[in-house]
Amino acid sequence: MISYILKRLLGAVVTMLAVIFFTFIIFFYLTPDPAASICGDACTPDTIVQIRRQLGLEEPFFVQFWAFLSGIFVGRTYGEGTAAEIYCSAPCLGYSFQYRTDVFDGIVDRLPVTITIAVGAAVLWILSGVAAGVISAVKQGTWWDRGAMMFALAGVSLPNYFVALVLQYLLVVQLQWLPFPAVVGFTDDPTRWFQTYIMPWTVLALMYASMYARLTRTNMIDTLGENFMRTAHAKGLRPAPIMLRHGLRPSLTPVVTLLGMDFATLLGGALITETVFGLNGVGRWAYNAIGTNDQPVIMGVTLLAAFAVIIANIVVDLTYTALDPRVRESTK
Amino acid sequence: MTRQPLLRAENLVRDFRTGPRTIFRAVKGVSFDVARRETLGIVGESGSGKSTTARMAAKLIEPTEGLLEFDGVDVTYKAGKALRDFRGGVQVVFQDPYSSLNPRHTVEQVISAPLLYQGRKVLGGRRRVVKESMERVGLNPDHSGRYPAQFSGGQAQRIGIARALVVEPQLVICDEAVSALDVSVQAQVLDLLRDLQRDLNLSYIFIAHDLAVVRQIAHKVAVMKSGEIVEQGSREAIFDAPRHEYTQSLLAAVPQVDPSWEAARQAG
Amino acid sequence: MTDKPMLQVVDLTIAFPTAAVVDQVSFEIPQGGTMGLVGESGSGKSMTSLAVMGLLPREARTTGRISFMDEELLGRSDRQMRRLRGDRMAMIFQDPLSSLNPYYTVGFQIAEAYRAHRGGSRRAGLRRAVEAMDRVKIVDADKRVNHYPHQFSGGMRQRVMIAMALVCEPELIIADEPTTALDVTVQAQILELLAEVQQSTGAGMLFITHDLAVVSQVSDRITVMRHGRTVEQGTAEQIFSRPSNDYTRQLLAATPRLDDQVDLPEPILTPVGSEDS
Repeated sequence: MISYILKRLLGAVVTMLAVIFFTFIIFFYLTPDPAASICGDACTPDTIVQIRRQLGLEEPFFVQFWAFLSGIFVGRTYGEGTAAEIYCSAPCLGYSFQYRTDVFDGIVDRLPVTITIAVGAAVLWILSGVAAGVISAVKQGTWWDRGAMMFALAGVSLPNYFVALVLQYLLVVQLQWLPFPAVVGFTDDPTRWFQTYIMPWTVLALMYASMYARLTRTNMIDTLGENFMRTAHAKGLRPAPIMLRHGLRPSLTPVVTLLGMDFATLLGGALITETVFGLNGVGRWAYNAIGTNDQPVIMGVTLLAAFAVIIANIVVDLTYTALDPRVRESTK
Repeated sequence: MTRQPLLRAENLVRDFRTGPRTIFRAVKGVSFDVARRETLGIVGESGSGKSTTARMAAKLIEPTEGLLEFDGVDVTYKAGKALRDFRGGVQVVFQDPYSSLNPRHTVEQVISAPLLYQGRKVLGGRRRVVKESMERVGLNPDHSGRYPAQFSGGQAQRIGIARALVVEPQLVICDEAVSALDVSVQAQVLDLLRDLQRDLNLSYIFIAHDLAVVRQIAHKVAVMKSGEIVEQGSREAIFDAPRHEYTQSLLAAVPQVDPSWEAARQAG
Repeated sequence: MTDKPMLQVVDLTIAFPTAAVVDQVSFEIPQGGTMGLVGESGSGKSMTSLAVMGLLPREARTTGRISFMDEELLGRSDRQMRRLRGDRMAMIFQDPLSSLNPYYTVGFQIAEAYRAHRGGSRRAGLRRAVEAMDRVKIVDADKRVNHYPHQFSGGMRQRVMIAMALVCEPELIIADEPTTALDVTVQAQILELLAEVQQSTGAGMLFITHDLAVVSQVSDRITVMRHGRTVEQGTAEQIFSRPSNDYTRQLLAATPRLDDQVDLPEPILTPVGSEDS
């Protein structure tokens, strides 16, 4: 088991290096000159060259790549020897000259908001989605089932920025049940914290919950047809253990897989909800950075997303081994 | 006098990779041959390697080592046209009649598929050949437009046999071909197989776990255990005077009706 | 104890909305006796056994009488049937691998059957599971109890199923094709085990199979079924030596025998080089 984890971690490092390399190629060759966007209105070709020098953009590809890569581990200095020398400490994912901030620090500042939205929404959608799926499967063909699946269809079909705007308009502007969302710490003001996050959670969860409900339903219906369900009935177990222990547990493995894959799209979802609700998270930062062509920020967030996906994959595989004894065997 | 068998297998070996550094030898060097109009029964329990052996003989998988000769020609590693010729001479009938027939194809499409694969043009057209082939296996040729699901298990297995016969093979490999059938249907299909053998000079390799069934169809029998043939001989030799300990224990384990009841019934 | 039958099925009829699957089937099992239900697919033998366990799908309509130890079972609520199932009557199925849940240890699954009826701690349940596994001759039961179904061979899995059936010491065991999925040598062992279990516990048994030879060995009395009806009923000896029904006779004639053979076409043994002539 331990050697399996080590093997996976080694694989993750290799994958991450490859991701950094290819991301770097894309940003190096395919994006507009960041110096131009930093330079602003009163720009002369001389200032651009100067900025490019300061950013190290005049260097050949591999020198720049090495500077970036080594920066992650030991930090780097921009515009060395000039008056505007800037030190970016390890782990350095780049420096945003627009925000005048270290990208890594910028991410770390904004990550709590994003994580709160993502994790809260995930808890909400897993619980509601799986519950709806189970009810649907057990009551297959009844109005319960049809109702839950209609709701799921609506959840999948409605664009979440639309739902977000409608919710905000109804609950905040019209009915005034909730205050305008504003980032507060949980410990500072728990009520306000909850009031702020409940809408982003709901919006984000709605879309995912629908998929989870449908997936759980399909798997659960398959499982209910298994021979071991008949055995469970023949043993004289009560309905609840039959459904949950024997029916639900085997149906959850694919749900875990989906959860792992959703980590990849979660940042995208967070981006929209953060922007609509005006919460200052990583997603909104990236959104703004795309607008102003703040490349170090975009690249930093891209790498963060890649990192999250790779870690999520490993976690999913490890969860598999915990969930399914047959997989556990093969990883020994 | 030397005889030339229709199919000859010599020292067939088959390995399967089970892990990065582990290999499982499913078949450990088996040799057998089948003459024209002869049936070789291969019996064994699960994991004995009998199905892997059958698949090698049908060239559905390649042997890791060994030699396979069909009609005097080495076909062990043949591909392309030579393999197509081999497929024209050797056909397979599988265990589960429904899952081995495409449910979205009509019986006519199912049966004529091998002709299509081999790009054969046939005298009188495909339709006529299909109808002939259906008649030969005891199916109503008017039903050629129906789908496999509309047939009973026994009829579906007849469709499988008709499909095998349509290219006029010399050897048919039956992999547990009657195992999924009810006894009365099974008896009819066995009858059919024997009639076809007599009329078309077919050879069979008949893989089965049911020893009593094998006795009713096979001229000679190979008993497999853990990838090896432990004993091989005529059906009389294997069933009436088994020499190998494993064959004896296998036969002893087969449940049988009390012979005195059996005798009483025959007499009455 | 009276000598009344432990299980009495009278005129059992099972109908689904689309078709009737069992029509007026009657039989009884005396204390400690074995009834063999034999028939081909679609004969209604499995439906009959599921009706006794109360495990038929909801849309099935059942009429007639099923009395178990003088208690009428038909018309009982789910709850009442649930108390009987796994406790006083237990069932063994055809395919032990798919009949066991791959996500739980065999010990847990056996203990589950015990605790559902007798309660007790997880630990006490596991102790019962080890005992039951010992009884079905699974060696190292105290270690094997923590293994998962996929870690067992086919025969061992069926032993686990039997242990699960025995754990509450049922009065009636229903075995539905218990050896059909097994290799012949393993089948012999499992049949022997079932006979021993029945001997030691005195349980009655309803044995469902399509295999005439198997049913001839395990049953005191046999019911031959076809298309949902009883075609013949009698002692094993009667059925096999003096069958009175045509269908029974056909079935017996169609069963391939190990000690007899039919004629085969002569092989053509071509000498080398003679094909051209």
